[in-house]
Amino acid sequence: METNRLSQGQLVAAVSAIALFIISFLPWFDISGAVTVGGTTIGGSKNFNLWEAENPLDIYLLIVILVALVPAALSLLGDGGGDAPMASMATALLAGVGTLLIIYQIFDTPGDLGRKIGLFLGLIACAGIAVGGYLSMQEDVGGERY
Amino acid sequence: MGRLSQGQIIAAVGGVVLLVAMFLPWIGISGPTLPSGVVPGGVDTSTSENIWKGSSLDIYLAITGVVAILPALMALTDSAEEFSFISAATLLLGTVAIILVIAFLTVDFPDGADRKIGAFIGLGAAVVIAVGGFRAMQEEVAGEI
Repeated sequence: METNRLSQGQLVAAVSAIALFIISFLPWFDISGAVTVGGTTIGGSKNFNLWEAENPLDIYLLIVILVALVPAALSLLGDGGGDAPMASMATALLAGVGTLLIIYQIFDTPGDLGRKIGLFLGLIACAGIAVGGYLSMQEDVGGERY
Repeated sequence: MGRLSQGQIIAAVGGVVLLVAMFLPWIGISGPTLPSGVVPGGVDTSTSENIWKGSSLDIYLAITGVVAILPALMALTDSAEEFSFISAATLLLGTVAIILVIAFLTVDFPDGADRKIGAFIGLGAAVVIAVGGFRAMQEEVAGEI
């Protein structure tokens, strides 16, 4: 894979987007409970990944992943990344808002769901996309390509 | 307000409508059917929830509404700041809001619940924000030529 047509920011955003996609299949939430029947307590828990939890965050983060990956894919295909400054701004803005939404989910989980590792890794990956988009915006101004 | 372009005004109106619509009922939940005589006449067993209680879409729509009215707020406060990317941000956030609200109303909507008026007003407001953002971008480009 020829990555020398990608800017450093695009590379950071694309790697973070791939990581976020993989992380989306890890457990993000869990629900646990216990029932006592005749003196015997039976407990259980179930994990939910991002796609299983009934939450609009899944569609939003899918949009963020696509917005981060498409300019990088177009650059690799030699299309020049289309309107690069606009794509970088879109990546930084949507991933920045996505980071805020995940932080909000950490403090206000839907229902009585518990927080799992995917939620925290997803936060880091989404923040990585936002940083990549921001770096890419800076590079578009400076004209740097790695 | 004279500094506001037509697109910015459209987006600001959409933003205000969206923020108001968020407090209207979005999800209607019908109560259980009880035998006659159990529920006294006139008692309604159904309830409704707005987007703040019914979905985690709330924060995203609030951010979208605030970004849409930001140029109008800056004009009202005579702020000298000019953010050229706000029109593009309004278009982007408005477009994604349309997708998310449609997904909420179709795929993610709670089973057995009814879609209430607030959801449709919110969807319409998101469309108005996106259109306003698009027009504001076009006006900015035309102003630069």
